Amino acid sequence: MNPAVIDPHTFDELQANAGADFVLELVDTFAEEAPRLLAELRSALAAGAADRFRRAAHSLKSNSNTFGATRLAAMARALELQGLPPDASGVDALAPEIDGTVAALQALARQ
Amino acid sequence: MSVTASPSGAEQFGRFAIFLAERRLHVDGQPVALGSRAFDLLAALVARRDRVVPKDELIDVVWPGLVVEDNNLQVQVSALRKVLGAQAIATVPGRGYQFTVAAAARQPGTAPAPRAALPAGAAPPRASRLLVADDNKVNRLLLCRSLELMGHEVASVDNGRTALERLSSERFDLLLLDLEMPEIDGFGLLEQRAADPALRELPVIVTSSLEGVAQVARCIELGADDYLHKPVNPVLLKARVGSSLERKHLRDRERELIARLAPGLPDGLQIAGGAPEGRRTAATLLAVRLRDVDALAQAQSAHETLELLGNWSTLMLDAIESHGGRVMQLAGDAIGALFDAPDTALSALRTAREMLELAAQFNHERTSTGKLPIALGIGIASGEIVAGHAGTPRRASFVCVGAAVQRAAALAAEATQRGDKVLIDASTHAALADHLPSLAKSPDATVTATGAFSIFSER
Repeated sequence: MNPAVIDPHTFDELQANAGADFVLELVDTFAEEAPRLLAELRSALAAGAADRFRRAAHSLKSNSNTFGATRLAAMARALELQGLPPDASGVDALAPEIDGTVAALQALARQ
Repeated sequence: MSVTASPSGAEQFGRFAIFLAERRLHVDGQPVALGSRAFDLLAALVARRDRVVPKDELIDVVWPGLVVEDNNLQVQVSALRKVLGAQAIATVPGRGYQFTVAAAARQPGTAPAPRAALPAGAAPPRASRLLVADDNKVNRLLLCRSLELMGHEVASVDNGRTALERLSSERFDLLLLDLEMPEIDGFGLLEQRAADPALRELPVIVTSSLEGVAQVARCIELGADDYLHKPVNPVLLKARVGSSLERKHLRDRERELIARLAPGLPDGLQIAGGAPEGRRTAATLLAVRLRDVDALAQAQSAHETLELLGNWSTLMLDAIESHGGRVMQLAGDAIGALFDAPDTALSALRTAREMLELAAQFNHERTSTGKLPIALGIGIASGEIVAGHAGTPRRASFVCVGAAVQRAAALAAEATQRGDKVLIDASTHAALADHLPSLAKSPDATVTATGAFSIFSER
Protein backbone atom coordinates (compact mmCIF):
# COMPACT_ATOMS: atom_id res chain seq x y z
CA MET A 1 0.00 0.00 0.00
CA ASN A 2 1.31 3.43 -0.87
CA PRO A 3 1.45 5.92 2.00
CA ALA A 4 -1.50 8.29 2.11
CA VAL A 5 -1.09 11.55 0.27
CA ILE A 6 -1.80 14.68 2.32
CA ASP A 7 -1.11 18.09 0.84
CA PRO A 8 0.92 19.76 3.63
CA HIS A 9 0.01 23.25 2.50
CA THR A 10 -3.73 22.63 2.78
CA PHE A 11 -3.38 20.95 6.16
CA ASP A 12 -1.15 23.73 7.56
CA GLU A 13 -3.60 26.38 6.39
CA LEU A 14 -6.44 24.53 8.02
CA GLN A 15 -4.55 24.47 11.33
CA ALA A 16 -3.61 28.12 11.01
CA ASN A 17 -7.19 29.19 10.29
CA ALA A 18 -9.16 26.96 12.65
CA GLY A 19 -6.59 26.26 15.38
CA ALA A 20 -4.58 23.07 15.91
CA ASP A 21 -6.75 21.83 18.81
CA PHE A 22 -9.87 22.22 16.76
CA VAL A 23 -8.33 20.43 13.76
CA LEU A 24 -7.50 17.49 16.04
CA GLU A 25 -11.20 17.26 16.94
CA LEU A 26 -12.13 17.62 13.30
CA VAL A 27 -9.81 14.76 12.30
CA ASP A 28 -11.37 12.57 15.00
CA THR A 29 -14.80 13.43 13.61
CA PHE A 30 -13.63 12.45 10.14
CA ALA A 31 -12.26 9.18 11.60
CA GLU A 32 -15.82 8.39 12.74
CA GLU A 33 -17.60 9.70 9.65
CA ALA A 34 -15.44 8.19 6.88
CA PRO A 35 -16.19 4.52 7.72
CA ARG A 36 -19.87 5.46 7.91
CA LEU A 37 -19.69 6.95 4.42
CA LEU A 38 -17.91 3.82 3.17
CA ALA A 39 -20.70 1.69 4.61
CA GLU A 40 -23.25 3.94 2.91
CA LEU A 41 -21.45 3.51 -0.43
CA ARG A 42 -21.57 -0.29 -0.05
CA SER A 43 -25.21 -0.29 0.96
CA ALA A 44 -26.22 2.09 -1.85
CA LEU A 45 -24.34 -0.03 -4.37
CA ALA A 46 -26.05 -3.21 -3.13
CA ALA A 47 -29.45 -1.49 -3.35
CA GLY A 48 -28.71 0.02 -6.75
CA ALA A 49 -29.44 3.49 -5.31
CA ALA A 50 -27.46 5.74 -7.64
CA ASP A 51 -28.32 9.02 -5.90
CA ARG A 52 -27.40 7.78 -2.43
CA PHE A 53 -24.18 6.41 -3.87
CA ARG A 54 -23.31 9.72 -5.51
CA ARG A 55 -24.07 11.71 -2.38
CA ALA A 56 -21.93 9.53 -0.13
CA ALA A 57 -19.04 9.76 -2.60
CA HIS A 58 -19.59 13.51 -2.78
CA SER A 59 -19.37 13.86 1.00
CA LEU A 60 -16.21 11.79 1.17
CA LYS A 61 -14.65 13.89 -1.59
CA SER A 62 -15.62 17.11 0.12
CA ASN A 63 -14.12 16.08 3.48
CA SER A 64 -10.95 14.75 1.88
CA ASN A 65 -10.44 18.06 0.13
CA THR A 66 -10.87 19.90 3.42
CA PHE A 67 -7.90 18.05 4.92
CA GLY A 68 -5.78 18.05 1.76
CA ALA A 69 -6.15 14.28 1.35
CA THR A 70 -5.73 14.59 -2.39
CA ARG A 71 -5.59 10.95 -3.47
CA LEU A 72 -8.61 9.90 -1.40
CA ALA A 73 -10.44 12.95 -2.79
CA ALA A 74 -9.61 11.93 -6.36
CA MET A 75 -10.84 8.37 -5.76
CA ALA A 76 -14.07 9.61 -4.20
CA ARG A 77 -14.58 12.11 -6.99
CA ALA A 78 -14.24 9.38 -9.62
CA LEU A 79 -16.99 7.43 -7.84
CA GLU A 80 -19.16 10.54 -7.53
CA LEU A 81 -18.99 11.36 -11.22
CA GLN A 82 -19.03 7.93 -12.86
CA GLY A 83 -22.47 6.82 -11.71
CA LEU A 84 -23.27 3.47 -10.11
CA PRO A 85 -20.27 1.18 -10.85
CA PRO A 86 -20.72 -2.35 -12.26
CA ASP A 87 -18.89 -3.93 -9.32
CA ALA A 88 -17.55 -3.13 -5.86
CA SER A 89 -13.88 -2.92 -6.82
CA GLY A 90 -13.74 0.90 -6.67
CA VAL A 91 -15.44 0.92 -3.27
CA ASP A 92 -13.23 -1.86 -1.95
CA ALA A 93 -10.16 0.13 -2.96
CA LEU A 94 -11.36 3.02 -0.79
CA ALA A 95 -11.18 1.06 2.47
CA PRO A 96 -7.38 0.89 2.85
CA GLU A 97 -7.07 4.45 1.49
CA ILE A 98 -9.44 5.72 4.18
CA ASP A 99 -7.54 3.85 6.90
CA GLY A 100 -4.21 5.20 5.69
CA THR A 101 -5.54 8.74 5.38
CA VAL A 102 -7.08 8.77 8.83
CA ALA A 103 -3.86 7.44 10.36
CA ALA A 104 -1.78 10.02 8.51
CA LEU A 105 -4.10 12.88 9.48
CA GLN A 106 -4.14 11.84 13.14
CA ALA A 107 -0.35 11.72 13.15
CA LEU A 108 -0.13 15.17 11.52
CA ALA A 109 -2.72 16.67 13.82
CA ARG A 110 -0.89 15.46 16.94
CA GLN A 111 2.51 16.75 15.85
CA MET B 1 -27.67 50.05 52.59
CA SER B 2 -24.93 52.57 51.88
CA VAL B 3 -24.16 53.84 48.45
CA THR B 4 -20.96 52.55 46.93
CA ALA B 5 -18.74 55.54 46.29
CA SER B 6 -16.65 53.95 43.58
CA PRO B 7 -18.33 53.94 40.19
CA SER B 8 -15.95 51.26 38.89
CA GLY B 9 -18.56 48.48 38.84
CA ALA B 10 -21.19 50.67 37.22
CA GLU B 11 -22.09 51.46 33.67
CA GLN B 12 -22.71 55.19 33.56
CA PHE B 13 -25.28 56.68 31.18
CA GLY B 14 -25.88 60.37 31.68
CA ARG B 15 -27.58 60.65 35.07
CA PHE B 16 -27.89 56.89 35.48
CA ALA B 17 -25.45 54.38 36.90
CA ILE B 18 -26.33 50.74 36.38
CA PHE B 19 -24.71 48.18 38.68
CA LEU B 20 -25.32 44.98 36.78
CA ALA B 21 -23.76 42.57 39.30
CA GLU B 22 -25.61 44.07 42.27
CA ARG B 23 -28.78 44.63 40.21
CA ARG B 24 -29.00 48.23 41.34
CA LEU B 25 -29.75 51.48 39.57
CA HIS B 26 -28.68 54.93 40.72
CA VAL B 27 -30.15 58.14 39.35
CA ASP B 28 -28.11 61.25 40.14
CA GLY B 29 -26.13 59.18 42.63
CA GLN B 30 -29.18 57.98 44.54
CA PRO B 31 -30.40 54.38 44.53
CA VAL B 32 -33.77 53.89 42.87
CA ALA B 33 -36.16 51.04 43.56
CA LEU B 34 -36.78 48.91 40.49
CA GLY B 35 -38.70 45.67 40.14
CA SER B 36 -36.83 42.52 39.22
CA ARG B 37 -38.41 42.23 35.75
CA ALA B 38 -37.85 45.92 35.09
CA PHE B 39 -34.18 45.51 35.99
CA ASP B 40 -33.87 42.47 33.69
CA LEU B 41 -35.45 44.51 30.91
CA LEU B 42 -33.10 47.43 31.54
CA ALA B 43 -30.06 45.13 31.51
CA ALA B 44 -31.26 43.53 28.26
CA LEU B 45 -31.82 46.90 26.57
CA VAL B 46 -28.48 48.27 27.75
CA ALA B 47 -26.62 45.20 26.52
CA ARG B 48 -28.26 45.60 23.10
CA ARG B 49 -28.19 49.39 22.94
CA ASP B 50 -26.52 49.38 19.51
CA ARG B 51 -29.79 48.30 17.90
CA VAL B 52 -33.55 48.18 18.08
CA VAL B 53 -34.50 45.08 20.07
CA PRO B 54 -37.64 43.23 18.91
CA LYS B 55 -40.34 42.74 21.54
CA ASP B 56 -40.17 38.95 21.21
CA GLU B 57 -36.48 38.97 21.95
CA LEU B 58 -36.98 41.09 25.07
CA ILE B 59 -39.79 38.85 26.27
CA ASP B 60 -37.53 35.81 25.81
CA VAL B 61 -34.86 37.43 27.94
CA VAL B 62 -37.07 38.84 30.68
CA TRP B 63 -39.53 35.95 30.91
CA PRO B 64 -37.41 32.99 29.75
CA GLY B 65 -39.47 29.96 28.85
CA LEU B 66 -42.79 31.69 29.49
CA VAL B 67 -45.51 32.67 27.07
CA VAL B 68 -46.11 36.32 27.85
CA GLU B 69 -48.27 38.93 26.16
CA ASP B 70 -46.81 42.13 24.77
CA ASN B 71 -48.78 44.06 27.34
CA ASN B 72 -46.57 42.79 30.19
CA LEU B 73 -43.53 44.10 28.38
CA GLN B 74 -45.30 47.41 27.88
CA VAL B 75 -45.92 47.69 31.61
CA GLN B 76 -42.23 47.14 32.37
CA VAL B 77 -41.20 49.65 29.71
CA SER B 78 -43.54 52.20 31.29
CA ALA B 79 -42.06 51.48 34.71
CA LEU B 80 -38.55 52.07 33.36
CA ARG B 81 -39.58 55.27 31.61
CA LYS B 82 -41.03 56.53 34.85
CA VAL B 83 -37.58 56.22 36.43
CA LEU B 84 -35.33 57.02 33.47
CA GLY B 85 -37.45 59.56 31.62
CA ALA B 86 -39.63 58.94 28.61
CA GLN B 87 -36.87 59.56 26.10
CA ALA B 88 -34.46 56.98 27.53
CA ILE B 89 -36.23 54.15 25.76
CA ALA B 90 -37.31 54.81 22.20
CA THR B 91 -40.09 52.90 20.52
CA VAL B 92 -39.57 52.10 16.86
CA PRO B 93 -43.07 51.26 15.63
CA GLY B 94 -43.40 47.68 14.52
CA ARG B 95 -39.77 46.92 15.38
CA GLY B 96 -39.22 47.14 19.12
CA TYR B 97 -37.37 49.25 21.68
CA GLN B 98 -33.97 50.86 21.93
CA PHE B 99 -32.06 52.29 24.87
CA THR B 100 -30.98 55.73 23.75
CA VAL B 101 -28.91 57.31 26.50
CA ALA B 102 -25.27 57.74 25.50
CA ALA B 103 -22.70 56.20 27.82
CA ALA B 104 -20.36 58.42 29.79
CA ALA B 105 -16.62 58.33 28.99
CA ARG B 106 -15.09 55.15 30.35
CA GLN B 107 -12.03 54.22 32.33
CA PRO B 108 -9.28 52.64 30.24
CA GLY B 109 -9.52 48.87 30.28
CA THR B 110 -13.29 48.67 30.45
CA ALA B 111 -15.54 47.75 27.56
CA PRO B 112 -15.61 50.14 24.60
CA ALA B 113 -18.14 52.94 24.65
CA PRO B 114 -21.22 52.23 22.57
CA ARG B 115 -22.12 54.43 19.69
CA ALA B 116 -24.99 56.87 20.04
CA ALA B 117 -28.32 55.21 19.52
CA LEU B 118 -30.99 55.36 16.85
CA PRO B 119 -30.79 54.24 13.25
CA ALA B 120 -29.07 56.13 10.43
CA GLY B 121 -25.52 56.00 11.80
CA ALA B 122 -22.67 53.90 10.43
CA ALA B 123 -22.94 50.13 10.62
CA PRO B 124 -22.03 48.92 14.10
CA PRO B 125 -19.62 45.98 14.31
CA ARG B 126 -22.05 43.83 16.21
CA ALA B 127 -22.21 40.05 16.49
CA SER B 128 -24.63 38.67 13.95
CA ARG B 129 -26.65 35.47 14.22
CA LEU B 130 -25.84 32.99 11.49
CA LEU B 131 -27.39 29.65 10.66
CA VAL B 132 -25.32 26.90 9.02
CA ALA B 133 -27.23 24.15 7.21
CA ASP B 134 -25.01 21.23 6.18
CA ASP B 135 -25.57 17.50 6.57
CA ASN B 136 -21.85 16.71 6.56
CA LYS B 137 -20.59 16.83 10.11
CA VAL B 138 -16.97 17.70 9.28
CA ASN B 139 -18.02 20.54 6.99
CA ARG B 140 -20.59 21.79 9.49
CA LEU B 141 -18.15 21.88 12.41
CA LEU B 142 -15.49 23.60 10.35
CA LEU B 143 -17.83 26.24 8.95
CA CYS B 144 -19.28 26.99 12.41
CA ARG B 145 -15.78 27.28 13.83
CA SER B 146 -14.65 29.66 11.07
CA LEU B 147 -17.69 31.90 11.57
CA GLU B 148 -17.36 31.90 15.36
CA LEU B 149 -13.74 32.95 15.02
CA MET B 150 -15.02 35.96 13.05
CA GLY B 151 -17.07 36.93 16.10
CA HIS B 152 -20.49 35.73 15.01
CA GLU B 153 -23.06 33.76 16.92
CA VAL B 154 -23.66 30.52 15.01
CA ALA B 155 -26.34 27.83 15.11
CA SER B 156 -26.32 24.76 12.89
CA VAL B 157 -28.72 22.18 11.47
CA ASP B 158 -28.15 19.08 9.33
CA ASN B 159 -31.06 19.25 6.90
CA GLY B 160 -33.23 21.70 5.01
CA ARG B 161 -36.44 20.97 6.89
CA THR B 162 -34.94 21.78 10.29
CA ALA B 163 -33.34 24.87 8.75
CA LEU B 164 -36.77 26.15 7.66
CA GLU B 165 -38.19 25.43 11.12
CA ARG B 166 -35.42 27.39 12.84
CA LEU B 167 -35.72 30.26 10.36
CA SER B 168 -39.44 30.58 10.96
CA SER B 169 -39.11 30.71 14.75
CA GLU B 170 -35.84 32.60 15.32
CA ARG B 171 -34.16 35.69 14.01
CA PHE B 172 -31.06 35.13 11.88
CA ASP B 173 -28.99 37.59 9.86
CA LEU B 174 -27.54 35.14 7.35
CA LEU B 175 -27.91 31.54 6.21
CA LEU B 176 -24.99 29.45 4.95
CA LEU B 177 -26.53 26.70 2.93
CA ASP B 178 -25.21 23.40 1.63
CA LEU B 179 -26.93 22.01 -1.45
CA GLU B 180 -26.76 18.25 -0.89
CA MET B 181 -28.94 17.56 2.12
CA PRO B 182 -31.59 15.03 3.16
CA GLU B 183 -35.25 15.98 3.78
CA ILE B 184 -35.23 19.27 1.88
CA ASP B 185 -32.08 20.03 -0.07
CA GLY B 186 -30.52 23.41 -0.68
CA PHE B 187 -32.40 24.01 -3.91
CA GLY B 188 -35.69 23.10 -2.24
CA LEU B 189 -34.97 25.53 0.58
CA LEU B 190 -34.12 28.31 -1.89
CA GLU B 191 -37.38 27.64 -3.74
CA GLN B 192 -39.42 27.91 -0.53
CA ARG B 193 -37.54 31.04 0.43
CA ALA B 194 -38.31 32.64 -2.94
CA ALA B 195 -42.02 32.13 -2.32
CA ASP B 196 -42.00 33.52 1.22
CA PRO B 197 -41.76 37.33 1.59
CA ALA B 198 -40.46 37.15 5.18
CA LEU B 199 -37.80 34.57 4.35
CA ARG B 200 -36.72 36.42 1.21
CA GLU B 201 -35.25 39.14 3.39
CA LEU B 202 -32.68 36.72 4.76
CA PRO B 203 -29.44 36.67 2.78
CA VAL B 204 -28.14 33.24 1.77
CA ILE B 205 -24.64 32.15 0.85
CA VAL B 206 -24.51 28.72 -0.76
CA THR B 207 -21.49 26.59 0.09
CA SER B 208 -21.08 23.43 -1.93
CA SER B 209 -18.57 21.17 -3.60
CA LEU B 210 -20.97 20.31 -6.39
CA GLU B 211 -19.15 20.78 -9.65
CA GLY B 212 -20.29 22.73 -12.68
CA VAL B 213 -21.43 26.25 -13.46
CA ALA B 214 -25.06 25.17 -13.93
CA GLN B 215 -25.51 24.59 -10.17
CA VAL B 216 -24.07 28.00 -9.32
CA ALA B 217 -26.29 29.68 -11.88
CA ARG B 218 -29.37 27.91 -10.55
CA CYS B 219 -28.64 29.08 -7.00
CA ILE B 220 -28.21 32.67 -8.09
CA GLU B 221 -31.43 32.47 -10.13
CA LEU B 222 -33.20 31.22 -7.04
CA GLY B 223 -32.06 34.29 -5.15
CA ALA B 224 -28.90 33.22 -3.32
CA ASP B 225 -26.60 36.17 -2.64
CA ASP B 226 -23.41 34.30 -3.22
CA TYR B 227 -21.80 30.92 -3.88
CA LEU B 228 -18.65 29.56 -2.29
CA HIS B 229 -16.97 26.35 -3.39
CA LYS B 230 -15.88 23.88 -0.75
CA PRO B 231 -13.45 23.61 0.81
CA VAL B 232 -14.30 27.19 1.63
CA ASN B 233 -11.40 29.59 1.53
CA PRO B 234 -11.46 31.43 4.88
CA VAL B 235 -10.45 34.79 3.42
CA LEU B 236 -13.21 34.64 0.81
CA LEU B 237 -15.68 33.41 3.44
CA LYS B 238 -14.95 36.40 5.66
CA ALA B 239 -15.29 38.86 2.78
CA ARG B 240 -18.56 37.40 1.47
CA VAL B 241 -20.13 37.04 4.91
CA GLY B 242 -19.12 40.59 5.79
CA SER B 243 -20.58 41.96 2.59
CA SER B 244 -23.89 40.06 2.93
CA LEU B 245 -24.30 41.14 6.54
CA GLU B 246 -23.59 44.75 5.74
CA ARG B 247 -26.30 44.73 3.08
CA LYS B 248 -28.68 43.03 5.52
CA HIS B 249 -28.02 45.63 8.21
CA LEU B 250 -28.48 48.46 5.74
CA ARG B 251 -31.84 47.00 4.70
CA ASP B 252 -32.83 46.62 8.37
CA ARG B 253 -32.03 50.27 9.03
CA GLU B 254 -33.89 51.31 5.90
CA ARG B 255 -36.93 49.44 7.16
CA GLU B 256 -36.66 51.07 10.60
CA LEU B 257 -36.53 54.46 8.92
CA ILE B 258 -39.55 53.67 6.77
CA ALA B 259 -41.44 52.53 9.85
CA ARG B 260 -40.55 55.80 11.55
CA LEU B 261 -41.24 58.08 8.62
CA ALA B 262 -44.16 56.38 6.89
CA PRO B 263 -46.36 54.98 9.65
CA GLY B 264 -48.89 52.36 8.67
CA LEU B 265 -46.98 51.33 5.57
CA PRO B 266 -46.36 47.61 6.01
CA ASP B 267 -42.98 46.12 5.19
CA GLY B 268 -41.56 48.60 2.80
CA LEU B 269 -43.08 49.98 -0.33
CA GLN B 270 -45.21 47.15 -1.58
CA ILE B 271 -47.54 49.53 -3.30
CA ALA B 272 -45.00 50.07 -6.06
CA GLY B 273 -46.35 48.57 -9.25
CA GLY B 274 -49.27 46.76 -7.66
CA ALA B 275 -52.90 47.69 -7.62
CA PRO B 276 -53.90 49.40 -4.35
CA GLU B 277 -55.68 46.94 -2.10
CA GLY B 278 -58.36 48.89 -0.36
CA ARG B 279 -60.97 47.52 1.97
CA ARG B 280 -64.10 48.76 3.62
CA THR B 281 -64.33 47.94 7.29
CA ALA B 282 -65.99 48.81 10.56
CA ALA B 283 -63.43 50.59 12.71
CA THR B 284 -62.82 52.96 15.57
CA LEU B 285 -60.61 55.96 14.99
CA LEU B 286 -58.65 57.71 17.69
CA ALA B 287 -57.13 61.16 17.24
CA VAL B 288 -54.94 62.77 19.87
CA ARG B 289 -53.65 66.34 19.96
CA LEU B 290 -51.30 68.28 22.15
CA ARG B 291 -53.07 71.25 23.69
CA ASP B 292 -51.55 74.72 23.41
CA VAL B 293 -48.51 73.63 21.50
CA ASP B 294 -47.92 77.28 20.55
CA ALA B 295 -47.62 78.30 24.18
CA LEU B 296 -45.22 75.42 24.83
CA ALA B 297 -43.16 76.37 21.77
CA GLN B 298 -42.85 79.98 22.92
CA ALA B 299 -41.82 78.99 26.43
CA GLN B 300 -38.86 76.91 25.32
CA SER B 301 -36.17 76.61 22.64
CA ALA B 302 -36.86 75.12 19.21
CA HIS B 303 -34.68 72.16 20.14
CA GLU B 304 -36.67 71.55 23.32
CA THR B 305 -39.91 71.74 21.37
CA LEU B 306 -38.77 69.13 18.87
CA GLU B 307 -37.55 66.94 21.70
CA LEU B 308 -40.90 67.32 23.42
CA LEU B 309 -42.77 66.36 20.25
CA GLY B 310 -40.49 63.35 19.80
CA ASN B 311 -41.02 62.14 23.36
CA TRP B 312 -44.72 62.76 23.21
CA SER B 313 -45.06 60.83 19.94
CA THR B 314 -43.06 57.95 21.40
CA LEU B 315 -45.44 57.64 24.33
CA MET B 316 -48.56 57.93 22.19
CA LEU B 317 -47.32 55.35 19.66
CA ASP B 318 -46.57 52.98 22.51
CA ALA B 319 -50.09 53.27 23.83
CA ILE B 320 -51.54 52.77 20.33
CA GLU B 321 -49.42 49.76 19.44
CA SER B 322 -49.79 48.01 22.77
CA HIS B 323 -53.55 47.90 22.18
CA GLY B 324 -53.38 46.67 18.60
CA GLY B 325 -53.91 50.03 16.91
CA ARG B 326 -52.25 51.19 13.72
CA VAL B 327 -50.79 54.63 13.35
CA MET B 328 -52.16 56.21 10.20
CA GLN B 329 -51.08 59.79 10.64
CA LEU B 330 -48.20 61.48 12.45
CA ALA B 331 -48.23 65.24 12.21
CA GLY B 332 -46.11 66.76 14.95
CA ASP B 333 -48.71 67.69 17.53
CA ALA B 334 -51.46 65.38 16.18
CA ILE B 335 -51.59 61.61 15.78
CA GLY B 336 -54.29 59.48 14.20
CA ALA B 337 -54.75 55.79 14.87
CA LEU B 338 -56.96 53.08 13.45
CA PHE B 339 -58.43 50.16 15.39
CA ASP B 340 -59.92 47.57 13.07
CA ALA B 341 -59.48 44.32 14.99
CA PRO B 342 -62.40 42.95 17.06
CA ASP B 343 -63.49 45.13 19.99
CA THR B 344 -62.32 48.25 18.20
CA ALA B 345 -64.05 50.70 20.54
CA LEU B 346 -62.79 49.02 23.69
CA SER B 347 -59.21 48.94 22.38
CA ALA B 348 -59.42 52.62 21.51
CA LEU B 349 -60.80 53.46 24.95
CA ARG B 350 -58.00 51.53 26.69
CA THR B 351 -55.50 53.31 24.47
CA ALA B 352 -56.92 56.67 25.48
CA ARG B 353 -56.73 55.74 29.15
CA GLU B 354 -53.10 54.65 28.77
CA MET B 355 -52.27 57.85 26.88
CA LEU B 356 -53.57 59.86 29.81
CA GLU B 357 -51.55 57.76 32.28
CA LEU B 358 -48.37 58.09 30.24
CA ALA B 359 -48.92 61.84 29.89
CA ALA B 360 -49.32 62.12 33.66
CA GLN B 361 -45.98 60.31 34.19
CA PHE B 362 -44.39 62.51 31.57
CA ASN B 363 -45.71 65.65 33.26
CA HIS B 364 -44.34 64.47 36.59
CA GLU B 365 -40.87 64.44 35.00
CA ARG B 366 -41.35 67.78 33.28
CA THR B 367 -42.67 69.70 36.27
CA SER B 368 -39.92 68.31 38.52
CA THR B 369 -37.40 69.99 36.21
CA GLY B 370 -39.37 73.24 36.02
CA LYS B 371 -40.91 72.64 32.60
CA LEU B 372 -44.51 73.28 31.61
CA PRO B 373 -46.80 70.24 31.71
CA ILE B 374 -48.51 69.03 28.56
CA ALA B 375 -52.23 68.37 28.07
CA LEU B 376 -53.94 66.06 25.61
CA GLY B 377 -57.22 66.20 23.80
CA ILE B 378 -58.44 62.85 22.48
CA GLY B 379 -61.29 62.18 20.08
CA ILE B 380 -62.73 58.72 19.41
CA ALA B 381 -65.26 57.93 16.68
CA SER B 382 -66.60 54.69 15.19
CA GLY B 383 -68.03 53.88 11.80
CA GLU B 384 -67.36 52.36 8.44
CA ILE B 385 -64.17 53.48 6.73
CA VAL B 386 -62.09 52.63 3.68
CA ALA B 387 -58.45 51.83 4.46
CA GLY B 388 -55.58 50.98 2.19
CA HIS B 389 -52.50 52.28 0.49
CA ALA B 390 -52.67 55.12 -1.95
CA GLY B 391 -50.17 57.16 -3.79
CA THR B 392 -47.74 56.84 -6.66
CA PRO B 393 -45.03 54.23 -6.93
CA ARG B 394 -42.55 56.85 -5.70
CA ARG B 395 -44.51 58.16 -2.79
CA ALA B 396 -47.08 56.07 -1.01
CA SER B 397 -48.94 56.32 2.23
CA PHE B 398 -51.49 54.46 4.27
CA VAL B 399 -54.81 56.23 3.97
CA CYS B 400 -58.04 55.93 5.81
CA VAL B 401 -61.16 57.81 4.78
CA GLY B 402 -64.67 58.01 6.12
CA ALA B 403 -66.90 60.22 8.20
CA ALA B 404 -65.57 58.63 11.42
CA VAL B 405 -62.00 59.69 10.54
CA GLN B 406 -63.03 63.31 10.27
CA ARG B 407 -65.24 63.03 13.35
CA ALA B 408 -62.37 61.70 15.48
CA ALA B 409 -60.11 64.55 14.35
CA ALA B 410 -62.84 67.13 14.99
CA LEU B 411 -63.53 65.70 18.45
CA ALA B 412 -59.82 65.82 19.34
CA ALA B 413 -59.74 69.46 18.25
CA GLU B 414 -62.91 70.20 20.22
CA ALA B 415 -61.50 68.44 23.29
CA THR B 416 -58.32 70.51 23.21
CA GLN B 417 -60.38 73.70 22.95
CA ARG B 418 -62.95 72.82 25.59
CA GLY B 419 -60.48 71.29 28.01
CA ASP B 420 -62.02 67.81 27.88
CA LYS B 421 -59.71 64.86 28.11
CA VAL B 422 -61.57 62.43 25.88
CA LEU B 423 -64.59 63.01 23.68
CA ILE B 424 -66.30 60.01 22.13
CA ASP B 425 -69.02 60.02 19.50
CA ALA B 426 -72.43 58.46 19.93
CA SER B 427 -71.56 55.24 18.01
CA THR B 428 -68.54 54.63 20.23
CA HIS B 429 -70.58 55.44 23.33
CA ALA B 430 -73.18 52.87 22.30
CA ALA B 431 -70.54 50.23 21.56
CA LEU B 432 -69.00 50.79 24.99
CA ALA B 433 -72.22 50.81 26.96
CA ASP B 434 -71.27 47.73 29.01
CA HIS B 435 -67.74 48.84 29.73
CA LEU B 436 -67.91 52.56 30.39
CA PRO B 437 -69.05 52.44 34.01
CA SER B 438 -66.07 50.29 35.03
CA LEU B 439 -63.48 51.84 32.74
CA ALA B 440 -64.15 55.52 32.59
CA LYS B 441 -64.73 58.32 35.03
CA SER B 442 -67.92 60.30 34.50
CA PRO B 443 -69.07 58.09 31.63
CA ASP B 444 -72.20 60.05 30.93
CA ALA B 445 -70.83 63.54 31.37
CA THR B 446 -71.76 66.52 29.28
CA VAL B 447 -73.06 65.93 25.86
CA THR B 448 -71.42 68.53 23.67
CA ALA B 449 -73.06 70.55 20.94
CA THR B 450 -71.95 67.92 18.42
CA GLY B 451 -73.55 65.10 20.41
CA ALA B 452 -70.30 63.73 21.83
CA PHE B 453 -69.73 62.37 25.35
CA SER B 454 -66.93 63.58 27.56
CA ILE B 455 -65.25 60.78 29.53
CA PHE B 456 -62.29 60.64 31.92
CA SER B 457 -63.15 64.21 32.71
CA GLU B 458 -62.45 65.64 36.17
CA ARG B 459 -65.24 68.16 35.88
